[in-house]
Formats: sequence, C-alpha cells, structure tokens
Amino acid sequence: MSADKYTAIVDKDIADLIPMFFKNRKTELEALRAALASGDLEQVRRVGHRMKGVGNSYGFAPISDIGKMFEDCAKANDAAGIGASLAEYADYLEKVKVVYE
Amino acid sequence: MNDPARTAAGDVRLASQSPYRVLIVDDDPDMSAYLALLLKKEGMAPEVAHDGESAITRALTSLPDLILLDVMMPGMSGFDVCRALKSDPETALLPVVLITALEDRESRVRGIEAGADDFLSKPVNREELLARVKTLRRLHETRKELANRRLAAEIAREDALLAAISRYISPRLANRMLRQNVDNSGVFPTLRDRAKVVVLFADLRGFTRLSETVPVSKIVPMLNEFFTELTAAAHENEGTVFSMAGDSLLVGFNVPITQPDAAERALDTGRSMIRRFAPVALRWRAEHGLSVGIGIGIEAGEVVVGNVGSPTFMSYTIIGDAVNVAARLMQMAAPGEILIGPGAFLSLKGLLGGAAESDRREVSLRGKAEPVEVFAIRVPPQ
Repeated sequence: MSADKYTAIVDKDIADLIPMFFKNRKTELEALRAALASGDLEQVRRVGHRMKGVGNSYGFAPISDIGKMFEDCAKANDAAGIGASLAEYADYLEKVKVVYE
Repeated sequence: MNDPARTAAGDVRLASQSPYRVLIVDDDPDMSAYLALLLKKEGMAPEVAHDGESAITRALTSLPDLILLDVMMPGMSGFDVCRALKSDPETALLPVVLITALEDRESRVRGIEAGADDFLSKPVNREELLARVKTLRRLHETRKELANRRLAAEIAREDALLAAISRYISPRLANRMLRQNVDNSGVFPTLRDRAKVVVLFADLRGFTRLSETVPVSKIVPMLNEFFTELTAAAHENEGTVFSMAGDSLLVGFNVPITQPDAAERALDTGRSMIRRFAPVALRWRAEHGLSVGIGIGIEAGEVVVGNVGSPTFMSYTIIGDAVNVAARLMQMAAPGEILIGPGAFLSLKGLLGGAAESDRREVSLRGKAEPVEVFAIRVPPQ
C-alpha cells in the first residue's frame, strides 16, 4: 500500500462531520472485534456493508474497500480474513490524514 | 381575504416559499448526517429518522416533500417502508428515493415493485444526490402549481356560475346552493311540483302618468333604479325574483329552498321595498313633479313551481291562486301600503295581532264570489 492510501481528500463542506465520523469508526472497530471474538459473523457482514456505503460517500475509499473485505470474509466464514481486515482497519484509522478541499 | 381564490393562491405562494422538507431515513448516523448536511447547504430542510417505523409515523404526522430511504435497515426494510407509504392515501403521492448499493440490481427491481420514484446509489455521490433531489423537487412544485391552477380555474368557474344564478335568486341563496351543497336535486323542478309558497307582488303607483310625462329615454334608467331597490330588498330576505314585467315584480319565498319563516321574510321584504324606495320617490317628485309610491300584495298558498316554456326558452315561475290573489291585492294597495291576504295572514297573526300601523278590511276580489278579509299595513317612509 502506498503512503497516499493514508491521505483522504474530503469535501470541506462536510468538515464539521469528520470528528463524529472518526468517533463512530472507532466504536465500529471495537464492535467488529467483539463480533469476531463471539463468532457473530452476521454482525461482521452488516457492519462491513455499512462501512462500504459510508466510506466512499465521505471520501475515505479504503474504508469502503475494507468494509467489502469484512462483508466477503463474513459470507465465506473466513475468520482469519476478518482478523487480517481488522488489523488493516485499525492501522488505517490510526494513520489516516484528512485534507479538505 | 375571504375570497377563496385569493386565499388558495396565497397558500400556494407560502408553500413554495417554505423550505423543501426532506425526510432522510437511514439507520447509519454518519450517512444520515452526511445527506442532511448536503441538503441543508442547498437551502433545504432535512429531517432524520433512524428506522422505518418512526419514518412512517413522522411522514403521517407532518408530510415532508420528499423521502430519502435506505434499503438495508434493521426492522422494517426500505422496501417495507416504501410499500407502506405508497399504499396509504395520505402519503401515496410523497416522492420516495430509495438508496441502494450500486451493484444491487435486484434491490432496484424490488424498489420499483414497492413503488419507489427514484434510486440513489451508495456510496452517495454529491452531484448525483443533488441532481435527483432537485429534479424531484421541480416535479413536485410543478404538480403543486398545476393543482393550484386547477383550483383557481374551478373557483373562477364557480364564481361565474354564481354570478349568473344570482341574477335570478338571491346571491346568498345561490351561494348556499353552490358552495354548501344544499340538496340541489330538485332546485329547479319541472312544472308539476306543488309547493306552499309565500308570494309578494310589488308595483309602482303612478307609473302610467310617469311614462306619459317623462321622455322614454329617461324611463328606463328610472325603472332600473326602482327595480334595483326592490330586488335588493328581496335578496336581503333571500326571496326568489320570478318575474319583472312593466313596473311590477313577483317574488317568492319558501322556494326553491325551504324557509320556515317565509311569511315574515315576505313582510320584511315589503317594508324594506317601501323604505328603500322612499328617497328615490322624493327625488323623482322634485325632478318631475310627480307623486309615485309602491303598492304591495302578499299571499300564501299552494302553487305549482317549475319551468314553463319551450325547449329553447324556459321561465322559472310559480302559478296558482295565491299568485293571483297577491296580484289583485297589489293593484288595490295604496302607495306605501302592504295588503296581506288571508293565507299569509295565518302565518303572521302572532306578529301582527296588535300592530298599530295596520287594520283589517274586507275586499272583493275579481274572480272571487265572497269578499275576503285582508290585512293592511301602512309603512311610514322612515
């Protein structure tokens, strides 16, 4: 993955929404971890589907991509894949930088 | 401001000035906040519901102009909500935009089946969102304007009809018939229906001399002035003017709409005619040196009411003994006097029993073997 992956270009009109957006993503990450731990793959699929819709809409394409991975892995009962996606999601949320345009 | 056309137009103007209300239904708070912010920046008024049930309640409580509805929600799905809204007459016309995943063709088909008006793909593209919402908004406003124009045209037609009918019956009566949907079925029946009617005949005493003295060109405006006061008095009391011939006027009460106090209305009309005409008579006297006044006859009885004439020219009229008696009484009445026949007097007895301005007398009427007792009322000009 290139360094650019961590730079998100976001519409300045929605700048006010971004702090809450990240707060919700962190809660989401915890929910995914808990769902994986308890084997609730349906919950992982649902959250993944939601990430897919919201990520690109806000300008965070990788969130949509990772969301699709969660959704696909959950459908395939691929717990290892979900674990890898969790690590990638945590990494992304930690490093992402927002540029408003 | 009481004019309904003006009020209706005013309402529509206000509606188009009020912000366009969009109800966003999405269980994801980030998505609903995002859509709400974009719409707000375009000057619209977004509202948010996070599940289907509360969206329906909200739509029914206060109808928005548009709904943006997510398909995938816990509980009621977007399809369920859409179907519910489209099957309720209150919300059936409310435009619904379903938000589906881009690749999800099946959802679109199900959405069409559920009655959705348009679709939006997730992830939501700002330009696409605004383009779709604006298109539906234009459509919505065009529909509103068309409805408004139809309403205005309907009111204009009704006004024209009212104006036409008001030339024959009192405007208030016409208004009640048209606007309050009083039983119209038998308003203008065929000439076979019998009805108990109070008849008033009024004419201008001294008209023959007047027409001999005053130039013909002046007679018509004078007669118009005379009839204006008389019809105004009739319409004040919701009487129906049946005919206007020469210098006489025939007015009916309790027809075509029931008036339990028809005899009182007729008497009030007679008094009002004499009082209204008094200043006109004074002026004519000053201008032409001629003394004129109104003579009035009132009688009640069963008459035949309806249209008489040929297929191309009909006259709405009343025929019967009470009409003949009222006409004879009118001819016998002195200027400023009302003669009331025995039929009408029955209804007015309580009212006239001890009136100082009145007296009873017996008169012989042409065509009647026995003299009839009539009641005479002198009406002072003021």
